[in-house]
Amino acid sequence: MAVFPSKEWFEEVREVYNSDRSLHSGGGGACDTTAGFSIGDRRYRIEFAGLECAEVRESNDAELAETDFIIEMPIESWKAMVRDVQENGKASSSQTLNSLDLGLEDGIAHSPVDDQYKQDLFYRYNQNFQDFFNASSRVETTLE
Amino acid sequence: MSEKLPTEAAVTAAGEADSKTIEPVHGVHKPKYDWMGLTNEWGVRVKPGIHGLRLGDLNVGIYGEIPEFWEDQTRRPRGALSRPGIPPLPYSLRYKHEMWADCAADLYEEAIQRRWIPATEVPWDSLEVLPDDVERAVCQICTELSQCANTELEIIAYWQDRMSYGYFEVKQFLATVTFDCARHMEVLRKRALSNGGGLGIESRGRVNRMILESSGGWTEAVVYLYLMRGTYITRLLTGLLSSAHNDAESFIYSHMLEDHARHLTYGYDHLKYAATHRKGSTAIMRTLLTIGEGHMADELKDGVVRSAMAIIFGGGIEGGRTRGMKRYLLLVREFLEDYLALCRWLGIDREETLHPMLKSYLED
Repeated sequence: MAVFPSKEWFEEVREVYNSDRSLHSGGGGACDTTAGFSIGDRRYRIEFAGLECAEVRESNDAELAETDFIIEMPIESWKAMVRDVQENGKASSSQTLNSLDLGLEDGIAHSPVDDQYKQDLFYRYNQNFQDFFNASSRVETTLE
Repeated sequence: MSEKLPTEAAVTAAGEADSKTIEPVHGVHKPKYDWMGLTNEWGVRVKPGIHGLRLGDLNVGIYGEIPEFWEDQTRRPRGALSRPGIPPLPYSLRYKHEMWADCAADLYEEAIQRRWIPATEVPWDSLEVLPDDVERAVCQICTELSQCANTELEIIAYWQDRMSYGYFEVKQFLATVTFDCARHMEVLRKRALSNGGGLGIESRGRVNRMILESSGGWTEAVVYLYLMRGTYITRLLTGLLSSAHNDAESFIYSHMLEDHARHLTYGYDHLKYAATHRKGSTAIMRTLLTIGEGHMADELKDGVVRSAMAIIFGGGIEGGRTRGMKRYLLLVREFLEDYLALCRWLGIDREETLHPMLKSYLED
């Protein structure tokens, strides 16, 4: 059983996401971006290329500074989101990335170089990222 | 007097004999091939990259030369050889800074790839009966937003044929935006008419009118359309998405939000380009914003959107009076924070001089 957060967990989610197009509701089209996830003291870098999630790997702050945007939340919020997806098959309305972004004073996504263009990618590709996390409902998960 | 046309058999026979006799077919001019050598650059062989053959990839050699001023007033494709004697077309926007954004070609590709179909992709069967007050509020917001989309479509259409063909990336991207707007009008109408409700009351349309009457230039229209109104609509859509009542609404708002974010990306990028390439443009934007903030403040004061959003957030009229209204006022506050941050990014400080009615939303 994969543990969240871990490279193995993200890798399993990536495989599920890439293997089933019915999980892609993001306009059915290409998504080309790299983003960082800041989860407690762990850092992950995710890359979407075309119709697939090309790579997810463990990373560090320096590398995340090169991404288009970083999604950052307290570890408990990340776990609550993943738990919610596990329980409901997809994020319920209060646990979507959009809702979580609205719920925090400064939002959950920011550009590491304060670039408005890159910051906007969070909204432009929001559904791809949501679909990715929703795909985790098919991955047996243990929360760390 | 009519001329007798050759029969099909005669044409075929003439074609077969052509190489031997080199006699022209009766009534058909002898073809000339002198146009074949007329090109500015030949032998171009652009290869697809990992993302396919994209519009921006074609900007090689002379085809990638994008001048600051487009001399030509014809529809000559950029890089094609000009033909003397073509009458001018009414292209009044001929400076690059009047419409350009570096991201336009990429956004065009993205718009083409991420299109969606309201008729069949929205899970309409997930709609369920909502309390009457909530259904009325949702339908009222659909009515308002479809008018906003219509305004966006019309102002782009107004400027499209004034934009020089030399900056075709922008023209093509904006064509996708008008299609997005049409799709938004479609899906909002469908939502309003598919769950026991209907369209609500027409908007007073102060800001719509302001956008449509910004005839001084496309950049000026972009200030109102995207920096001001567009930034507000983003907040409305994110709020609606987080309060979606079913999968159909989630799908609609999330896809509208993605489209809208693409439009804003162009708008913000264009304003940044204009601010850094046209002397005095930020001063003009500041003046426009001073005027526009007054209209925006009037529109925000209007009770229709305010109460409809509060009902949606509060789950009904009762909750709308308390937590729903509180959440709507927070939404306006977040819009204004976004707006001020964008102004700062563009080099326009509105912090101190923000319209007093707007400033009041920022006070606790």
